[in-house]
Amino acid sequence: MTGEILRILLLVLQLAFLGLLYLILLAFVRSLLRDLRSAERAQLASQAGIGRLNVLESPDDEPPAGRAIALGPINSLGRNVNNTVFIDDDFVSAHPAMLTFRGRSWFVEDQGSTNGTYVNGHRIDRPVALSFGDELTIGRVRMRLER
Amino acid sequence: MLLPLLILLPIGFAATNIYRTASADPGPMILAAIYIVMMLSAHFVLVASGNRGDPLLLPLVAAIGGVGLVMLNRLAPDLGTTSAFGLNMNVAETQLLWFAVGLLAMLTVAIGLRDDRFLRHYKYTWALAGIALLIFTFLFGTEVNGARLWIYLGPIGFQPTEFIKIVLVLFIAGYLAEHRALLRDASLRLGPIRVPPLPYLLPMLAIFVLVMLVVVVSKDLGTALLFFGIFLIMLFVATGRRSYVLIGLLLFLAGSFVASRLFEHVARRVDAWLDPFADPSGAGYQTVQALYAFGRGGLFGEGLGQSLLPTAGGRFFGVETDFIFAVIAEELGVIGACGLLALTMALVFRGLRVGILARDDFSAMLAVGLTVSLGLQTLIITAGIVKLIPLTGITFPFVSYGGSSLLASFIIVGLLLAISHRSAVADEREGRGP
Repeated sequence: MTGEILRILLLVLQLAFLGLLYLILLAFVRSLLRDLRSAERAQLASQAGIGRLNVLESPDDEPPAGRAIALGPINSLGRNVNNTVFIDDDFVSAHPAMLTFRGRSWFVEDQGSTNGTYVNGHRIDRPVALSFGDELTIGRVRMRLER
Repeated sequence: MLLPLLILLPIGFAATNIYRTASADPGPMILAAIYIVMMLSAHFVLVASGNRGDPLLLPLVAAIGGVGLVMLNRLAPDLGTTSAFGLNMNVAETQLLWFAVGLLAMLTVAIGLRDDRFLRHYKYTWALAGIALLIFTFLFGTEVNGARLWIYLGPIGFQPTEFIKIVLVLFIAGYLAEHRALLRDASLRLGPIRVPPLPYLLPMLAIFVLVMLVVVVSKDLGTALLFFGIFLIMLFVATGRRSYVLIGLLLFLAGSFVASRLFEHVARRVDAWLDPFADPSGAGYQTVQALYAFGRGGLFGEGLGQSLLPTAGGRFFGVETDFIFAVIAEELGVIGACGLLALTMALVFRGLRVGILARDDFSAMLAVGLTVSLGLQTLIITAGIVKLIPLTGITFPFVSYGGSSLLASFIIVGLLLAISHRSAVADEREGRGP
């Protein structure tokens, strides 16, 4: 008789264990789905940009450090106010560099500036393909290309 | 999310003890209690430290690890104790200790890693350190079950390949992030086939081949398969080119075929996979017993504590490590086994999401590589046990008994938390919602 009761007790515990396991799973799946839906909405709401420049260091504070600059397909960078990305730094030429999105990659090209354009600390002398996460230094301003 | 574990673990512990003692005594709950308290406090430390990383990662790990701990607690009386530092501990107690160590490591990485620059910049150093560790294992390691995997420092043994896995992912991520644009866009054409620009692929291939050589020579096939899979998937994610994956898979098939001809132990594994019933008490023993276990388990399982594997003449090895999934399938049935796999899938899903949301290539590649390593590892061992692919010894992350595996898996979760924390902070700064 006690054996019978124990067997039933074990069966109940077994089913409870499995049920609970799936309850946990269900909770996770629900929050995964919620997350997917909100991501979908967020994507619909905002046109996903092709990239941004995150300003890491800027001694003269224009652009201010910490700002993220949204990029179009073709960007000119320099001290002239007509540039898409205006960099007010004494060590920067008027039109030192072009940053362009061609095909599926970003490229940066130096326009014959005095102090040069640096990618990850190396001065460039021809158009260079950039990866997201690469650091771009123009004058004393340090920026990082991000998604 | 962590709260259902408060009931799940005690039920598992109680069912085990009731079956074993044949009385309505639920038995000691101290291990379950410690586990839950550990997970909850790790969660609160994360929140209190201001980590804004993925909030589902730790609960998922806790759920998967919880099922593992229930199984180890059930297996403990059958396996006896090991003594270290004058303490006698069974497998469940030892595993709980490693959970504590792993959680500490995870918190250290998640909270301490504010800047990933030192991970990114020293990629060649990482690669060299990994290779040095591999060669050291090969020369001075101890051989267990035909594979040379262990290094013993006094009473504590550890498996270096678990950590080499992380280092390898770090290196590949660093290298791909640096050369991604070139690998993706530049190419040589040889007739209809587009060949990747070799000079850029060569350093990575060289290190990779070296790693594979040492792994294969030390007869650790599961790890070789795991490393190769991680490498191919990361290459695909970085370049988006199917041709790389295709070439890689063909190379792998050719390599496996050659290996099965050249090395006797590989040939034995393949034969045991193709027809385990040809030698059911010899080479095919493990596979046949595991398949029987699945059969006995059926849909709902025999019940916790009722697997025959741990006591099957004492010949079946690895119930607490590589073959724990067979015991789970026998005691919890296909339903329980699938539930566990689904939890792992959710973990992989969250990990890939961390990679998608990452702001730079290195973090994205790192997140993908680390996540894929957890997912592939689960896939390789479970597929091996159910005779879908040749059986290779490898651990089930967070479930199998083993300190190195647990510690490495927790470091991976710590890295994922650190990466997702950085992208969440960046999103917030720019006023973009999560």
